[in-house]
Parts: sequence; C-alpha cells; structure tokens
Amino acid sequence: MPEITGYAFPNDIHVTWSLMIVMYPYITGFVAGAFIVTSLYHLFGREEFRPVARLAMATSFAFLLVAGLPLQLHLGHPERGPLVMITPHFTSAMAGFGILYSSYLVVLALEVWFVWREEIIARARRSRGLKRAFYAVAALGTYDTSPEALEIDHRAIKVLAGIGLPMACMLHGYVGFIFGAIKANPWWSTPLMPVIFLLSAAVSGIALLIVLYQLTAKLGSRPVDQQCLSALSRWLWFFLILTITLELLEIIVMAYEKSESWLIISELLASRLQFSYITVQMIVGGLIPLILLAIVVLMNRYLHERVRSTLSTVAALLCLLQVFSMRWNIVVGGQLLSKSLRGLRSPYEPELFGREGVLMAIVLLIIPFVILFVFDRVLGIWRRGEGGGGAQAGSGPAHAARGASHG
Amino acid sequence: MEHARHVFRVALVVVLALVVFMLTRGLLVPKSYGMYGPYRHDNVAEQMNARKPAFGGAQACADCHVEQSKKRAAGRHKTVNCEVCHGPLRQHVKEDGSIDPMPVDRSFTLCTRCHRKLVTRPASFPQVVPEQHVNGPLEGKICLECHDPHSPKL
Amino acid sequence: MAGRNDALRVIQDCQAPAGGEPAAPTRREFLGDALKLASGAVVFLAGSAGAAGGAQPGKQPDEAYNWDDHLYAYLIDTTKCIGCGSCVRACKVENGVPDGFYRTWVERYLIGMEGSYVDSPNGGMDGFTPVQVGFVANKSFFVPKMCNHCKATPCIQVCPVGASYRTKDGVVMVDDTRCIGCGYCVQACPYGSRFINPATHTASKCTWCYHRITKGLKPACVTVCPTATRQFGDMKREDDPVRKAIEHERVEIMQPHLLTEPQCYYLHLDKEVR
Repeated sequence: MPEITGYAFPNDIHVTWSLMIVMYPYITGFVAGAFIVTSLYHLFGREEFRPVARLAMATSFAFLLVAGLPLQLHLGHPERGPLVMITPHFTSAMAGFGILYSSYLVVLALEVWFVWREEIIARARRSRGLKRAFYAVAALGTYDTSPEALEIDHRAIKVLAGIGLPMACMLHGYVGFIFGAIKANPWWSTPLMPVIFLLSAAVSGIALLIVLYQLTAKLGSRPVDQQCLSALSRWLWFFLILTITLELLEIIVMAYEKSESWLIISELLASRLQFSYITVQMIVGGLIPLILLAIVVLMNRYLHERVRSTLSTVAALLCLLQVFSMRWNIVVGGQLLSKSLRGLRSPYEPELFGREGVLMAIVLLIIPFVILFVFDRVLGIWRRGEGGGGAQAGSGPAHAARGASHG
Repeated sequence: MEHARHVFRVALVVVLALVVFMLTRGLLVPKSYGMYGPYRHDNVAEQMNARKPAFGGAQACADCHVEQSKKRAAGRHKTVNCEVCHGPLRQHVKEDGSIDPMPVDRSFTLCTRCHRKLVTRPASFPQVVPEQHVNGPLEGKICLECHDPHSPKL
Repeated sequence: MAGRNDALRVIQDCQAPAGGEPAAPTRREFLGDALKLASGAVVFLAGSAGAAGGAQPGKQPDEAYNWDDHLYAYLIDTTKCIGCGSCVRACKVENGVPDGFYRTWVERYLIGMEGSYVDSPNGGMDGFTPVQVGFVANKSFFVPKMCNHCKATPCIQVCPVGASYRTKDGVVMVDDTRCIGCGYCVQACPYGSRFINPATHTASKCTWCYHRITKGLKPACVTVCPTATRQFGDMKREDDPVRKAIEHERVEIMQPHLLTEPQCYYLHLDKEVR
C-alpha cells in the first residue's frame, strides 16, 4: 500500500498508468523525431542530412513497428485492444490512435518501399530461389528501374514525406493531447502539452540519430560526415532550447498565477519529483546539454573532429535521458497527486519482472534495434561502396546521378 | 504512365487492405452498438439484471417480523433500517424462499460506530463517550444490558 | 510476378471478343476494374452495417421499465451525516466491491482558522474514531461522496471504445464486456470516483444500483442511511421531494468550475470541500 501525505481520495492512490505508458510516448517520440530528420532531406532537400536520411527513415519505421506494444502490455484486456479500431469513440483522443497509427504505418511503409525499391529489385536480380521470390513479391513484380520510373519514385517520396510529416507530428502530438485535455489533473491540463511533447520528440529523435549514426559508422568502418553531424547538433540545440523554454514556462506561469493547484504541484516538485524533475530533467538533462551543444554549434569552425564527436554524443545521450525523465515526470508525476489536491502518494516503483516491469521496458527498447539490424540485412541501409559524405568520393558519374535523384 | 505501373500496383495493395479491414470491422461491430449512442445498448438490460438486490428495506422485514417492526417504528430507532444492524435481506431469505438464520452483531462496537461522541457529528445527535457512559469495562454486549436496540431510549 | 499477369489475362478473357487473342490489360481498364471491385465492396459493407445498426429501433431493454419516464438525481444533506459508514458497507455487500476500492465513501473534515484536516479511513467503512489535530477546529462535518453521474461527463468523453455511457434515465455505467482497461476514464474523473477492478481488470464505479432503481427500489446506500442524509429522487416525478429540494433550495455541486454538471447535489457544503 502506498503511503499518503495529506488526504487523497480513497480510489486515487493507485498508479494505473505504469512504466509502459511512459515508454509509449518515448517510443513514438523516436518515430516522430527520426521522421522529422528524414523529411528534412526528402521533403525540404537539405543536403547536409543526406548521409543520415535512410538511417533515419529505417529508425522511424523500426520504432513504429514496436509502438503499439507498450499499450497492449498495459491494457486490462489486451485481447480487446482492437476494439479501438472497430468501434472507436471519436471524442476520445485515444481512439485517434487506431486511425493515426494505421494510416501513418501505411504512409511510412509506402515511403520505405519507394526509397528502397531500386535496392529490392537489385537484390531480386542478384538472388536465387526463395530469396528471389521474396524480393520479387516485395517489388510487386515490376523490375522497372529506368530514369523515368525513378523520377516517379522521387516524386512519390516527396508527396509521402509531405503527408507523412504532419501525420508523424499528429501521431505524437495526440499523445500530448491525451494528457493536456484532462481538466481533472492540473499537472497535465495545459494547451502547451501537445507542443511540448512534439518538441521533445524531435529532441529525442535527433539525439538518437546522432548516437546511432556515429555508432553504425564506427561498426561499419565508415567515416562520419562532419557537416551532417554539426547540422544534427544544430537542430538538436534549437529543439532543446524550445523544449526547455516551454517546460519552464508552464511552471513559471503556474507559480505566478498561484491558482488552487499550485500548492500541491509545488509540493510535488519539491518532494516527490525533486530528483527526477529538477536534477535529471532540468539540470543534467537540460542545462548541461544546452551548454555542450552551444559549444558544438557556436564554435563549430574551431572544433576538431574528435571533440565535436564526443561533445555531441555526450549531449545526445543526456538529451535521451532528459526526454525519458520528462515523460516519467508527466505520466507518473501526474498520478502521484490526488484529485483532492490535498495529498501526494509515495513514489511509484515499477516492478522488475512482469508485464509492465523494467525488464519489459528494456526489451521494448532493444527490439527496434534488432529490427534495424534485420532491415539492414534484408534491404540494406547504406548503399554498397558508399562513404558517409554528401559528395560520392570515388564513385562514377552514373552512380552519382542516380544517387542524386532520390536519397 | 508506362513507368508508373508499380505505383498502381502498390495503390491496389493498399486499397485491398482497406477493403479487407472494412469487411472485418463490419462483422465485428456488435448488433446493438450505436442505437442510442456510441455504446452497446444491450448492456443497459444486462446491468438491470446484473445482480439480485441484496437489501430489502425495513418494509420487507415488517412482512414477517411484525412485533419487532412495531416496536422499532414507535421508538427512537425508527429511521434506522433493520439491515444496518442485522445485515442484508438476502443473507436471511434466500432466492428460493428458504430461510437462513440472520446474523446479528451484539457487541458494543456496533453501537459505538454510530453513537461514540465525535466532534464531527451533529450536536443534536445522541452520542456518548462510551468509557464514561458505562460503569465498568467496555467489552462484549455491554450496551444491551440497559438498552433495547429496537427501542433504545430509556 | 508472372502469375499475376496470367490471372489478369484470365479475367480479361471473359470480356474479350470471341476468336481474338485478348490483349494485356491497359492501365485504364485495370484501374476501372479495381475501382468497381472496391466500390462494390463499400456498398456491400454500408448495407450490412446499416442493417446491423438499425436492427430494432426503439425497442426498450425490458418491457416493464421505460427509461424515458425517469431522470434520476441524488441529494445529500451534509448537516445530517453522522459518519456511521453504513452506506459504504451496504454498497460493498450489494455490489461486491473489492477490498481497498470504493464505489462510495465518507470524508471527515475538521476546519479551523489555522488549518484544515481531511480523512477517510478505509473510506469510512468502519466508522470513525476521534482524531487529534494541530489546530483549533471550529467546524467539523462528514461528506459522503460517490460518482456524480454528470451530464457532461469527462469520463465518457475519453473512453476510446465507447464502453462507458450515460443512459437516458441519467445513470453513467460501464459495459464490462467492452471495457479494455486502459484507465483513461479513471484519470479523467475529477472526483476520484472510478477505479480499475483488480478482479475484472475493467473500470468500475457507483452505478446508483441500477439493478435496484429500475425495479422501483432505492440504491443500497440510501436504503440503509439512518439519518436521511442520502436521498434519491426522480426529476420526472411530480411530487418528488428530491426534485423539489434541487429546484427550490440552495444546492451545491462538486468542482462547479469544471462544468461537468454533476447530478449529485449537496446541501450546506463548505468551501473547503472539493
């Protein structure tokens, strides 16, 4: 039984939204953030993101496949989960999950297909037997790789990225809406919530890619494109500034207005969330990466490769921690205070084993990387013989022309 | 359009998937869903018959226990439902009409639950500090030694 | 894949003129066939969905009870409550409420100029015992609480599958066979009335004893209340005392600023009660 300080409504003392509900926005945050990066190249044509564009798309896809799992694990009746798609109640933001998730899955799957189609056909031609049949089905039986077809692919990708970007934003923004629209809980109820969620999703996605890009480059003995890395760091810095500003703004306005909820929320922040909010989310995860990234961005010209690499990686890892603690503080923190606004319960400790436990959360984070590994084996994230650079060093003009038509 | 064949094929795959989904969904929506709102209307009738009522009210007891009912109705406990002290009707009269002995708590804790003096209780409500009210130790059925629960005023 | 082109050619065979080798389908023909198939499926689905939805319009669940004739409301006079907890115990027995969860509960308030104190030991089920507070308590009272069966519920608004609903006679309930146990309604209720039943893993709460009131009985809590603190009424009945009180007396509701339009009305509430 949890310990209560003050008075909590008798039913209000249980944390129903567990670690799994912290994992869900964390994972969809990666989906949205990685998609923003890949759209910066595919939709807005920013060449400095070319080295990381395909990795970002594959990452977004891999995390999307896992996104529904934490929800299923949390439900009291997971076998009834599909009811959200069968009889969705549209006044509920959660009902939006069914539509948003499946349509975004279709859009992203299509975009992946168009980007990798040439690769699929090449592999179909190279393989024999069962593998060939698999690739042939994946290519839907067409082997057209003429420049006209590829040009059509290029346009399709742009259209899909154009549809997909607002969709990815909505897929994560609606999660913020789920919390922001609950007038019963003053820690959650604010119009800023969807915006904060989306901006911190961008932070987590870009941070993940900074780490993943350098890691995979190291594993595959490829050079890291420094321009790409500094561009990623720059965008991470911008999004981090925006996120921290809005998160702080929420607190500052609440403290200034001093409406009836401020008493209990200030107690919540000072006691139950002191470590996870002030120490982890704001200082370790907020202030320090802000400074590190400021160095990377403002002193970009003077930095040695190793320094840039180290600083941006450390900052990215701290940002990943910041986003996780932000999700934790919102989801769990909101449930530590009672709707009586007179009481707080003892901090929530997730179980180690079990359906909604810590081990399950770790597994959920590992699965997308396994998917990425399989993805690379089956489809190939990096083109054969390609370096990390925008300029294709050592490749012929034909290759460069084809590479230039679509990422 | 020669080179867009693959686009049409993938579009067809998507449309087919949508059709399959709509077909499946049509089969799975419950029959009474949507009749009066976005819920399964059959549940209303199910809730009406979800349980057999356990409490009967004082009138139900009076049908058999005439004496006790009369005494209670004339006394200070006339607003106190029999089932507050005795337990629900269903524990005593089974659904098939057979009778089980009705449990009754005769200990002082039952009386003090209502009549222990608390500053929160309305001042006009009869309440005592049990330890001061009783000569001797507070235990067992001490209240019943003086008070008749069906007409408790002395 | 070669197989797919063969299949298409077979379809086209049926339409090809006799004696001629059928040509491979053109883009236009193929798209036309696909669209026809899709629209046919959609029409079929629309028909079947319509047939299922409009099966028996207007049929009442039980012929003897017509929900159009009733609109329930609840009245609580906090000056009368003695905090005996009979209501909490009766509800638990009547509805099989699991331990540690409460469909209704009683709160005790001790209020002074220097501070306030609120508690609800075990929901008030075993009554209350005297308590010491660190300030002078000038006023003290009990407040029974339960689901308010709001007209503009935040809980029904957020249910993703439509498992939670409000009947025409004004009672909010949960369809236990459709609730997925997501817990959104529990988060959305400003009054803390809902909980996830640990046995059924679905959302659960006070139903105003729907299985009793539709048979002309009162909810169990009202039936056992010894001081007439709790009263249950029908706003559609002419001479209903609860209706009269709500219409003519000064009544209050919980958290009015949230505009949930609760149907549990309180007499003589204090500003400290939330």
